[in-house]
Amino acid sequence: MAELDSDRHAELVIDTAVDAAGTRIVTVSGELDISNAPSLEATVVSITAERPERLVFDLSGLRFMDSAGIAVLIGAAAKANVVQLRDPSPIVRRVIELTGLSSVLHIES
Amino acid sequence: MSSPAGVAATASGEDGARRPGEAQQAVAARPALGSLRRWRPSRAAALALATGLVITAALSLTTLALYDRNESRLLGLRVRELGLVLTAVIPSIQTPLASAAELADTTGGSPEKFRAFMAPYVGPGRAFASASLWPLPSAHPAPTAVVGATPALASLPQQAGQFFDRASRTPLLAVTGVFGSASPHLGFAFRAPGAKRGFAAYAEAPLPAGRRTPVTSGAAFSDLDFALYLGHSRSPANLLATSVRRLPLKGRQASQKVPFGDSALTLVVTPHGSLSGRFFANVPWIIAAVGVLFALAAALMTDRLARRRLQAEQLAGVLDRVATENREMYTEQRSIAQTLQHALLPDVLPEFPGLQVSALYVPATSGIDVGGDWYDVVAAGDQRVLLVIGDVSGHGLRAATTMASLRHATLAYVAQDPRPGTVLSRLSDFVNSGVHDYVATVLCALVEVDAHRLTVASAGHIAPLLLNGDDGAFVEFDADVPIGVTRELQYRESTVSVPPNATLVAFTDGLVERRGEVLDVGLARLRDAAAGQRLVLDHLLAKLAADLASEDHNDDTAIVGIRWQN
Repeated sequence: MAELDSDRHAELVIDTAVDAAGTRIVTVSGELDISNAPSLEATVVSITAERPERLVFDLSGLRFMDSAGIAVLIGAAAKANVVQLRDPSPIVRRVIELTGLSSVLHIES
Repeated sequence: MSSPAGVAATASGEDGARRPGEAQQAVAARPALGSLRRWRPSRAAALALATGLVITAALSLTTLALYDRNESRLLGLRVRELGLVLTAVIPSIQTPLASAAELADTTGGSPEKFRAFMAPYVGPGRAFASASLWPLPSAHPAPTAVVGATPALASLPQQAGQFFDRASRTPLLAVTGVFGSASPHLGFAFRAPGAKRGFAAYAEAPLPAGRRTPVTSGAAFSDLDFALYLGHSRSPANLLATSVRRLPLKGRQASQKVPFGDSALTLVVTPHGSLSGRFFANVPWIIAAVGVLFALAAALMTDRLARRRLQAEQLAGVLDRVATENREMYTEQRSIAQTLQHALLPDVLPEFPGLQVSALYVPATSGIDVGGDWYDVVAAGDQRVLLVIGDVSGHGLRAATTMASLRHATLAYVAQDPRPGTVLSRLSDFVNSGVHDYVATVLCALVEVDAHRLTVASAGHIAPLLLNGDDGAFVEFDADVPIGVTRELQYRESTVSVPPNATLVAFTDGLVERRGEVLDVGLARLRDAAAGQRLVLDHLLAKLAADLASEDHNDDTAIVGIRWQN
């Protein structure tokens, strides 16, 4: 049973909004990993279908992100001209830096 | 490795295919079993019923015993009261006769005086039916004066002789039943004590017809039936009066003896109904009825609870079986996944002069998916060896096949030009030219064995650790973006010189990545665990995997070690 239990999905909350300038903002809170990355991916796919100029991920509430989460962000970067990460935690920020993604995923500070 | 796992997978596969069918049959069979059982009370219910009935019986019996004791006590009180009433009657018989006997002694047996004295006591509605004066002693006693009816005793000379003989010897009132004559009477005689010759005053009171005195309802003792006997025994011959048709009395009884002259009266009573009242008589039965109802209700309730529990247990059993089957299937799939993973990775790493090479693949502790981690160590000519390690995002068959195609593409590019930056650029072109939807981090490290040099390029991959004696440091370079993110990118190379006998440890992020932790912490943990170890390369990798893999890591991990032998 322990093996089955550890397969449970990590807690993740996804919220989408449009700010005054018309920029799409996706707020991601909780923990983003292989277990729930597909749900964020679905959100991103529906938003990038409109080919937005700019896409902002608000990561201030995100405590953890693994490579599956990064892959989703990279996927978004491939479809939107500018992808910005707002307030990523040091953990997330360091992952972006170490994987050489700062040039693709711009960190807002 | 692959063949035992394959056998195991096949064996458990057949097992798994058969089991679900069984489970369905079991589930389908269960309701029918339940309906059959519905008519049988559960053991717990039977126990509850039995307990309830036992308690009810005990309560009822106790109440009944209490009621019984109370009835007997009340009856005892009643018969004593009746005895007192009878005792109070005795002086009204004895006093006139004692006075008459004294009067006869002092008047020499004057019949006139006797008649005059006794007249008020004799007649219908009065104490006696007849009074007479008898001179004593006499062999054939006969009355000298009679008031009222002729004494019945006079017609029974033998009984009269014995009776007056007894009367002359006792200082008490002598009492006898005159039952031999046509109408039965009760006879009383008194003779003044002392004088040798003298007179006995004798009186008779009639007994009721058939000795039956119906109890008048509403009278003081109307709740009792009685039988009154002369003497100490309950012999029917000595019956004076009774309120019932048929003797002996039946049911609860109490008796009382009342001294009556030289004899006694034995009074036996029995109650008509309940002395303490109809309600109290019914209390034991009320308790029994209510108790039985409660016991039945408790049994029904227990039965329902027991049945629900049984159903819950059966359900739990089914769920447990399903869980076991799932677990088995999961283990089996996991084993398939691992078999596939191993099939995609190099079986044996080639040997290179002047280098020790070792690699380790640690599957995730959970999850059935195949990971996308891979590694290769290949000869690159001129005393050079290229180490490739990579991690395709995601899990599952897609990640595994992507990994396989990347791995083989890399090998092809290495054969053309082993420079790390070139390999990664071509790989990036390869990935972005097709309709691929994944990213991968890849590290290429070109090892120059004799020159003790290392040239590294990274597509988003974590830097490898370089161990030199007690020192450990991550190779410093600027990481470029992972493969699959953008196209037409030049991957930068960094070259460092390597001290003799140094060890290079390249790995995928599963080894250092922990939830809720900055990556640098995991990197430092790895460095501290590896630095200063004097282990054979194989053992070093095994130790790192064992020490750093957290219990719940759900990412695969690949570790590759290269050690210079001089």
